[in-house]
Amino acid sequence: MITIDRLCYNSKLRYVNAGEKFAFSVLSLCACVLSRSVTVSCFVLIFMGILSVWKGGIPFSCYLRYLTVPLVFLLLSSFAIVINISHTPLDLFAVELGSIYLTGSRDSLMYALNLILTALASVSCLYFLSFHTPMPDILNVLRKLHCPKLILELMLLIYRFIFVLFEVSHAIRVSQNSRLGNRDYRTSMKSFSAMASALFIRAMKKSDALYDAMESRCYNGDIRVLNENFPPRKAEILWIVIFEIILYGLVVIEKF
Amino acid sequence: MKDVILKAEDLYFSYEGEKSHSLNGLSLEIERGKKIAFMGANGSGKSTFFLCCNGILKPSKGCLYLDGKPYDYSRKGLLKLRQRVGIVFQDPDNQLFSASVYQEISFGILNLGVSEDEAAKEVEEVIRRLEITPFRHKPTHALSGGQKKQVSIADILVMHPDIIILDEPAAALDPRHTTIVNRIVDQLTEQGITVMMATHDADYAMGWADQVFLFKDGRVLAAGTPEQVFVDREILQETNLEQPAVLELFEVLCQKGILSPKLPVPRHLADLERYIREI
Repeated sequence: MITIDRLCYNSKLRYVNAGEKFAFSVLSLCACVLSRSVTVSCFVLIFMGILSVWKGGIPFSCYLRYLTVPLVFLLLSSFAIVINISHTPLDLFAVELGSIYLTGSRDSLMYALNLILTALASVSCLYFLSFHTPMPDILNVLRKLHCPKLILELMLLIYRFIFVLFEVSHAIRVSQNSRLGNRDYRTSMKSFSAMASALFIRAMKKSDALYDAMESRCYNGDIRVLNENFPPRKAEILWIVIFEIILYGLVVIEKF
Repeated sequence: MKDVILKAEDLYFSYEGEKSHSLNGLSLEIERGKKIAFMGANGSGKSTFFLCCNGILKPSKGCLYLDGKPYDYSRKGLLKLRQRVGIVFQDPDNQLFSASVYQEISFGILNLGVSEDEAAKEVEEVIRRLEITPFRHKPTHALSGGQKKQVSIADILVMHPDIIILDEPAAALDPRHTTIVNRIVDQLTEQGITVMMATHDADYAMGWADQVFLFKDGRVLAAGTPEQVFVDREILQETNLEQPAVLELFEVLCQKGILSPKLPVPRHLADLERYIREI
């Protein structure tokens, strides 16, 4: 997560209007989910990959590594779809185990492949958003979409405090390690629980201090901030529209 | 006639569940436009006093006056007070609540009910003046300690306060950022802002401050110009402070008969150097 954060602040597409990026990735995501077709998924997957790596400057190896994260889960769950236990052998393969068969059909294999591709393509859409858009910009888009204020404020504070508490936990960890706090399994369990409770107390204290600091700046229960806007560019919008028209055209062709 | 902007009269305060008082009959007067250093051991009541100045804490006894008027603790009164008296907290991580520098700085001024256009202008101005431009697009968690400090000062400065309270601004900063922060502090004074600063650096206080308050156990142990306060070794010992190097040197040079004790007390090493050169 910290790596994704670093990537998005260094992305070449960071200063592209966040609304454009949001619309682009969400529309493409919807196309993938609606169509459930291999062609559309492959198209989106390849296009998002090219865009992220070539236009966004995300290292190719890094992009691949992030795609393999969901891939592991997908492969595991598709095993369950492909492999059946049945009394009659199916058409793809069959392994005899006494009176029953460990077996799978061609259809279920195709179905699993389709599922994997759809899921990967959807993930790549979301990666596109999160690799190139810093969190405050995403929140800004959500605010414009009239997402409830309370949720947005919570997200703002949580996002900031992930990093603050991460630093604290890292410091505690280092100081524990430097005193052999993780010598064996027992001590490391003990150290971990000590860290968890220390972190909890620290979080409480920090939130108190933060509230004081906000109060001292005339906070009245409503976080109002200015956002920096990077105006949308006509050429970019045009490209997005063209892409989405092609994509949804594909969806229609595939469906009917 | 002294032009007093802030006055504290016999303040008492203790935190919940603690028997001892954090403030213990504290009285002092702050003059407008002056540079004031607050010194004293940890736990001597400096930070508690600062929170009282800003209306975050309300003293259990005693009264604070701003421009001669007692503090008004109603919602509206507090809002006005906090616009005029701003605190820059010691740990920026406790102050910065947003991941975006721009959002962070705009928070205070928007709370004052300023229009967004005007607020944006003010934010840009403060970003330029405090030299934040090179890192304005970085997330706050990727900033260095010194940069965070610059942002947290900008947070307050954008609200145009009359008094800025800095709680150990140079704590944990490298020399380069200490210089930057000190330069910003000098800018504040030039704009006529009253600066109250907690510090443990006697050398810095000697050179910078117009007035020094020594705190001990929640009350003022000594007050006066740096020359007056830092000469008194007994009081310094009581608060575990070291005499500023320039003063120590000057006294030794006077004892040896190299310099005349009639010379005005030097506040910077450069002054002392000049004396020695002029012998």
